[in-house]
Amino acid sequence: MQRSLIQFAAESTTKGGVFGALGIDWKTLVLQIVAFIILVWLLGKYVYPWLIRSVDARQAAIEAAAQAARTAQANAEETEKKIAGLLHAAQSEARDIIATAKLEASEALADADDKARARGDQIIADAQDQIARDIAIAKQALHDDTLSLVMLATEKVLGKAVTKDIDNKVITESLKEVR
Amino acid sequence: MITSIAALDLHISIGAEKLFSVGPIAVTNAMVTGVGGLILTIIILWYVGGRVKKGRYNRFVGLVQWVFEGLLKSIDDVIPDKKVARRITPLAVTIFFFVLFNYWLGVIPGLDSVSWGGIPVLRSLTADLNFTGGLAIITVVTVQFYAIKHLGLVGNAGRYFRNPFKDPIGSFEGILELIGEFSRGASLALRLFGNAFAGEVLLMVIAVLTSYFASVVLPFFMAFELFIGFIQAYVFFILTLMFTALGTSSHDVPLSENLSSTTLPKKVKPTGMI
Repeated sequence: MQRSLIQFAAESTTKGGVFGALGIDWKTLVLQIVAFIILVWLLGKYVYPWLIRSVDARQAAIEAAAQAARTAQANAEETEKKIAGLLHAAQSEARDIIATAKLEASEALADADDKARARGDQIIADAQDQIARDIAIAKQALHDDTLSLVMLATEKVLGKAVTKDIDNKVITESLKEVR
Repeated sequence: MITSIAALDLHISIGAEKLFSVGPIAVTNAMVTGVGGLILTIIILWYVGGRVKKGRYNRFVGLVQWVFEGLLKSIDDVIPDKKVARRITPLAVTIFFFVLFNYWLGVIPGLDSVSWGGIPVLRSLTADLNFTGGLAIITVVTVQFYAIKHLGLVGNAGRYFRNPFKDPIGSFEGILELIGEFSRGASLALRLFGNAFAGEVLLMVIAVLTSYFASVVLPFFMAFELFIGFIQAYVFFILTLMFTALGTSSHDVPLSENLSSTTLPKKVKPTGMI
């Protein structure tokens, strides 16, 4: 390191000052500038145009794809809105239909209920009439049976045939006693 | 430590060393490597350009094209004027690739082990101030060319010279701007040279210090140098663009507005010297 510093100091005094010590040679400098400019010109004329064109084309393609994507996105959003509208309308219609159906069903139910109630009342009334009639018939039959039994019993007790008059008299008396 | 390193007899020369002469031109070891870098750059970019032209892509072509596309995007981001951006593209992109390949050539193992008459035959071109200085001169001249083309000769001169009686602060600012033009060129040249030269010295010192373990340790430093090479190439590239953007922006508008976030990538805002 010390040697390098000494060398640097020695060179700066012998070979054109600081520039010489740093290795700067004007001829080499100019040569390198010219060589680099030629390189820039060469690449700028024969290589970069193709690369730039390719990049531009790619960016244009990307831009076009992005534009297409944006359009597709817009279309999708519009379609989504349409679908949402249709869905909303369908839901609203379905709600109306259900409400109407419920109303009709409740009306029909009420109507059927009324009819059933009327029919039931009718059946009950008929049944009550029938029962009343049956009871009357049964009473009459019971009365007749009772009369026959009493007549038979009386015959056995009296030991004689009971005429109609006697019969009636005895029966009447017996009944009075029973009562 | 310094004494022990000095005792190792490392061959370190700040300037590129002359190998032979062709007429009045001294051919240095950096020039020899530079010719290799030049041929490599031409071959790679020519191959990629030809493949792209024919529409025959492969992974390598895709990689180079991807890098190229990134550079183009940077150019478009930094330079608001599309015409100027397209015109500066060949210079800026060539700077990037040429600096990158030449920097990477300096990382080749055993680069300094091939010697002729005690002088290493190969030395990275980026570690030669003739090249980095030349590149800086080209950049500064190009910036001035586009500044004059964009603002006119008087308009561009107006950036540096203003009437001190009418605008004393502005005239002082103009002088600073003029000094800044030179310092930008110098900083461009010295930054690249310093990094490349220090990288070569670092690799040499590590190789000597680690001795038999060099084959294990050096690859890490080489990978680091490859990364630094990429960074330096990109820094040179982006600074060329920024100086062009500054040169072609109107001086009536404050710099802060010229270099708004829409025209410059956030990472390279000119908040100070890089």
